[in-house]
Amino acid sequence: MMNQVRFSRQSAIRIFAQEYSDANLPLEGVGEYAPSFIITKLGAKVNRALFGGVIDRFERREGDNGPTYSGHLRDATGGVHRFQIAPFQPELHADAEELLARFESGDRFLMMMIGRARWFESDDGGIFTSFRAEEFTTVERSVYVNWLVETSAATLRRLDAYNSSLESENSVESLKSAGVPEDLIEGMILAKNHYSSFDPENYKVGVLQSLSMALSSNSEIEQMLISTEESTSPATSENNSQTSDDVKSDSKPSGDVDEVILNVIRSSPNPDGVPYDSIVLACVEAGFSRESSEDAIEDLRDIKCEIIEPRFGFFQILD
Amino acid sequence: MTDKERYAVQIALVKEECKEVDEDEVAKEFERYENEFLIPPNDAVRSVILKFQKVSGKETESFPGTTARVEKKVDRFKELGSDDKNVTLEVAVVTYVPRVQMVRGEEKQIAFGWIEDNPWESTDKRERWDFKDWGAHSENLRPNSIVRLEGVSVNEWNDKRSININRGSRVTVLREGGPAVPTLSDEPVSIEKASENEGYVNLLVRIISLKPDVITKRDGSGTIDIFRGTLADSSGKISFLSWVPVDHKVGDLVKIEGAMIRKFRETPEVNVNDRTKIEKFHDSNFANIEDLSKATTSRISDLRNGMKDVIVTVQVESWQSRTFTNSDGEEKIVRSGDVMDPSGRCRLTAWCEIEPKTGDFLHLNGARVQFWQGSPDLVVDNSEQIQNLTEAPWDAINPENHWVQITLSDLVNGGSRRGVKTTGTIVAVKNDSGIIERCPECKRILRDGSCQDHGPQHGVEDLRLKFVIDDGINNASLILGKIPSEKFLSMTQEEVKEQISQRGKEDFIALIRNKILARKVVINGRSLVDNQGAMILAENIHLDTSTNEDAANLVMEQWGVLL
Repeated sequence: MMNQVRFSRQSAIRIFAQEYSDANLPLEGVGEYAPSFIITKLGAKVNRALFGGVIDRFERREGDNGPTYSGHLRDATGGVHRFQIAPFQPELHADAEELLARFESGDRFLMMMIGRARWFESDDGGIFTSFRAEEFTTVERSVYVNWLVETSAATLRRLDAYNSSLESENSVESLKSAGVPEDLIEGMILAKNHYSSFDPENYKVGVLQSLSMALSSNSEIEQMLISTEESTSPATSENNSQTSDDVKSDSKPSGDVDEVILNVIRSSPNPDGVPYDSIVLACVEAGFSRESSEDAIEDLRDIKCEIIEPRFGFFQILD
Repeated sequence: MTDKERYAVQIALVKEECKEVDEDEVAKEFERYENEFLIPPNDAVRSVILKFQKVSGKETESFPGTTARVEKKVDRFKELGSDDKNVTLEVAVVTYVPRVQMVRGEEKQIAFGWIEDNPWESTDKRERWDFKDWGAHSENLRPNSIVRLEGVSVNEWNDKRSININRGSRVTVLREGGPAVPTLSDEPVSIEKASENEGYVNLLVRIISLKPDVITKRDGSGTIDIFRGTLADSSGKISFLSWVPVDHKVGDLVKIEGAMIRKFRETPEVNVNDRTKIEKFHDSNFANIEDLSKATTSRISDLRNGMKDVIVTVQVESWQSRTFTNSDGEEKIVRSGDVMDPSGRCRLTAWCEIEPKTGDFLHLNGARVQFWQGSPDLVVDNSEQIQNLTEAPWDAINPENHWVQITLSDLVNGGSRRGVKTTGTIVAVKNDSGIIERCPECKRILRDGSCQDHGPQHGVEDLRLKFVIDDGINNASLILGKIPSEKFLSMTQEEVKEQISQRGKEDFIALIRNKILARKVVINGRSLVDNQGAMILAENIHLDTSTNEDAANLVMEQWGVLL
């Protein structure tokens, strides 16, 4: 009478880079074909996601089993969606090569991607999230803007659920009666048990940015395309700060701050490495926010693997 | 005198309990007790027996409460003994049925069901046992979940073993299952709530219809007299089947204790047996039979396979009759047509003589619902069930553009429906989109040039596209047949074939991806929903044309956001 338990396809969560990259709670499926999830602070249970943005970084690495492609899509919240295409996905390699050629010729373009959540855990227990690409395509602006609107709605729905949950006990029944939609309850319970309290206003700011882009003339998205193109040439490091307002300072291209960090470390005479604080100081002096500098250092250490931290708080270039 | 001779009496006693012991060993032991532990042989007998039982691996007789209970960890049910306690094992929960049981004069909330061992393997490699839950673990023992049970015990009764999950047992969820089965209460529940799950319930309902019926046993060994009917309360109605005579009449308000909800096809049904208590109830505020009959009129969108006694009004779109010869060689006429109401459309089959015209309104009373090609269709068996209305219940629907708009979530969570329109984003283009070959006999898709039923065949080429449509919360497979595919691609089947042969299948898929992936689309078609998920057969697909500005304004309005 019972047929074997089947897992139905997981729906593609609409999520901004900001919310996904903040998440550090994996929920590993147990057993064959059981889906795994990343649980965000707002309680989204992400196994599959639909996301988009301007291509910000794209590269190929050759490995023993074939090429791995990795890249970033930067969305309107200023964050980046990290994604990979694995050697065992040969059906995507032809399209990836085409993208790579375009990217390397200096072209920047909007993309939409469907990806599966993945993560890795660093030695010190940090969780780093990204996506493995499932399908992707380059899109015209209106398709991307449509995603911004849909993702704004999805994020507002989660924010609303989060706010309704604040007064409520962290159980299925209480959350249900507090008005948390059924599909968010499980993730909400896990999130509230895991994350310490945070200010959801940040996510709202991301939503407002996205909605204003959807409503305003398309110049801002064009601006995004232009500013990323500029960032590929390291010379134009500070031009952006004039065009972008305070809220958008986060979205300053990371390429520049990386250069500052690498230069500081390279030019240091200290063989033990450069202290964390002096790197951050150099970045702040160069006009970057403290927060984005700290993120960039982590990024260089954990994702791009260009620097190492042989001793806590001291950094060297990884040769 | 050797030790063996000296302790002969005691050794004989030990040998009665432990047959395979070495007499020299036992003698040595008694000597040791006597000389080392200063215990005379007669007093040492018990200790020596225990020692040798332990050595030989036999279960020792322990004194209740004096020894700590040892946890027994097993993988399979077959490793369990009939009186094992404190057992740990992993199982899959198959069913969970709560009920109230009298235990030592007290009403206790318990539950029973099926569990299977070896839960990570396919079902044919598992063994299934009954279990009883004495500890109200309904939250964790959800059907379809996999759990680790700790501190459970084996129960044997009439040579059948089962697992007792006790108050002190621990249940750890290893893999999530379906929704939790709500715990029972003595309070009657509404029909709407009772219909959500199978299991025991108490109901407070009015009998809307009741008639004796006969079930013919499949093996031909005879018949069983039963009663069928319909029950209603303000939340809805439900059919019931009683295996025992019902001493109440139509219109009576009754309290039913210990009724079993079972699903017949997709429709829940109340089962009444000799353990069910039905008694008359008095409540002058309870809705009367006229109101309840009115309230239980269905719309086409409510129809589910297996429903009976359906009251529904439809508008006729087309009507045909067909003559065929049945298996007994009789010539029969079946009439059928397409019908609509404001909630959707379906087919109506009549096994009686009616000839409605296009545009007629028919009121059906007592129709049943059957699946045909995956859609719930109405069936009427005699003309008394049909009333041709002279007055239109609604402004005549134009069949040309009668599409009922529903959200993708409502579509996925509802029943199979025709004539629906929905919106979502394409999140996958399946690689088997394109030209396929079908069996000329049965139209099934050929695999490697061969049909599952009809062997190797010269296939008939066909065109279809397969996508996944998704709204961020739910998703469904989306299939476009030849005509909507050609329209969507602006290419004929021949042109598609030409392109694939020239530029390859991957190029063709990439072309479709560029055209539709991550785009919002509007679909007209019909839905097939079963426990494997939802599938939409599209008759038409086009890109959503609403502007992003409008959409953004709508979002801000809905969530009260200002820029």
